[in-house]
Amino acid sequence: MADGVKLMKDALPGLIEYLPMTLYFLIVPSIISLILGSMICAVRVGRKNVLYRIATVFVSFFRGTPSLVQLYLVLYGLPKLFEIFGVNINRWSAATFFVIASILNFSSFVSEALRGAYLAMDHGQIEAGYSVGYSRWQCLLHVIVPQTLQIALPNLKNLEIDLLKGTALAYTIGAVEVLGYAHRLIAINSGAGRMWVLLAAAILYFVINVVLEVFFNLLTKHYSKYERSLA
Amino acid sequence: MNLDYKFMISDFPIVLRALPVTLALTLWSMLFAVAVAVLFGAIILRNVPILKQIVMAINSFLKGIPLIVQLLFCYYAIPYLLSNLDGFLFIKFDPRNVPYFGAAVTAFAFNFGAYMTDVVVSSVKAVDKGQLEACYSVGMTKFQGMMKIIIPQAAVISIPNMANYFIWLLKATSIASVVNVVEMLTTARISASDGYQYMEAYLVAAAIYWIVCIVVERLIKRLDVRVGSYNKKLTVA
Repeated sequence: MADGVKLMKDALPGLIEYLPMTLYFLIVPSIISLILGSMICAVRVGRKNVLYRIATVFVSFFRGTPSLVQLYLVLYGLPKLFEIFGVNINRWSAATFFVIASILNFSSFVSEALRGAYLAMDHGQIEAGYSVGYSRWQCLLHVIVPQTLQIALPNLKNLEIDLLKGTALAYTIGAVEVLGYAHRLIAINSGAGRMWVLLAAAILYFVINVVLEVFFNLLTKHYSKYERSLA
Repeated sequence: MNLDYKFMISDFPIVLRALPVTLALTLWSMLFAVAVAVLFGAIILRNVPILKQIVMAINSFLKGIPLIVQLLFCYYAIPYLLSNLDGFLFIKFDPRNVPYFGAAVTAFAFNFGAYMTDVVVSSVKAVDKGQLEACYSVGMTKFQGMMKIIIPQAAVISIPNMANYFIWLLKATSIASVVNVVEMLTTARISASDGYQYMEAYLVAAAIYWIVCIVVERLIKRLDVRVGSYNKKLTVA
């Protein structure tokens, strides 16, 4: 046991060194997915044209297949896709491919969370917005977006936590982050103390998760400040 | 895109033949996950003094770390545990035949059991309190009331959430390919390694996963409608 604690202590500094990579895999996809997801959501709640069909199939595919499969598809498929246009992207790092796969997967989940929130929003609010003379853009910016975000926030928190845990998958394609480093460490030690190294990685992930959760709870509190309590 | 369509068509039955393994992995994991969830949920609902705190701590830890970390941990820990328990009771450990499938099931059961504990607790709490009082008033014991009145109702309430986790679990089983379980994704990879047609094989696997997920979703929707008809008052999202 004392042995194990020492192994964990030795492993932790190295693991923390790769924390920025995990955070990069968390933050970049979540920002881009929020934008892409809102666009998909806007298409999905609008008129049922060709764009709607495409978005529906997109969302269904990325929600209906495992993220690991999507990761492999991006890793092997994207170079082939770019080959058609004569662009060689084989030099891109594994991290880039992981970020792209993450964005595709996560934006479909975000779009569904936003769509649910949009449908749950009181639509009298939009009419009220128009009635005080807002234009479409003003209505979107001052009425729809804040209320949708507020309703979607608990769901987005769960998705964000899932995304954080999903970053551990990056090691399967060779992008080195916290788990990737843990795996490398295990390989260097030829498997000695492998459970302790994994436990150290697990504790690190748990700590990031707690921080993320606290951040989102503060955000929820901030947003619910404006909520009128129903007496 | 220059895909090898001929290979894709010929590969389809090969990958499809591994679907039972994926489904078995899902079903076994689901079974044990529900067992774990019911056990943990019972401890939380009964307010067992120290055990409750322990269970809640374990749950939040299991929910806070990536599934793949748990899988790798079980992948290392289960053979280690078994080799130490070799000869104890009926346990026999054969190092040439390590139970990777069992290790994966263990990891999935605990991870999803932690999530489902919340479902169990919230659905039992969602049953009207008057129901148990009605049981007492007709002379049932608490055990009878729980078994005959509360649990069936709670089970119906929990269907949509449990179904979500089932689909989630079905997709998560693909991660077991990392720890040497020969399921659909592993089969796809193996079938592709001859001619480096990975893209094609993974497309086939993705298609099968997609179809299975849609079918399962439809089936669950039907089940929900059927069972929900006894319980029309509840509007389940």
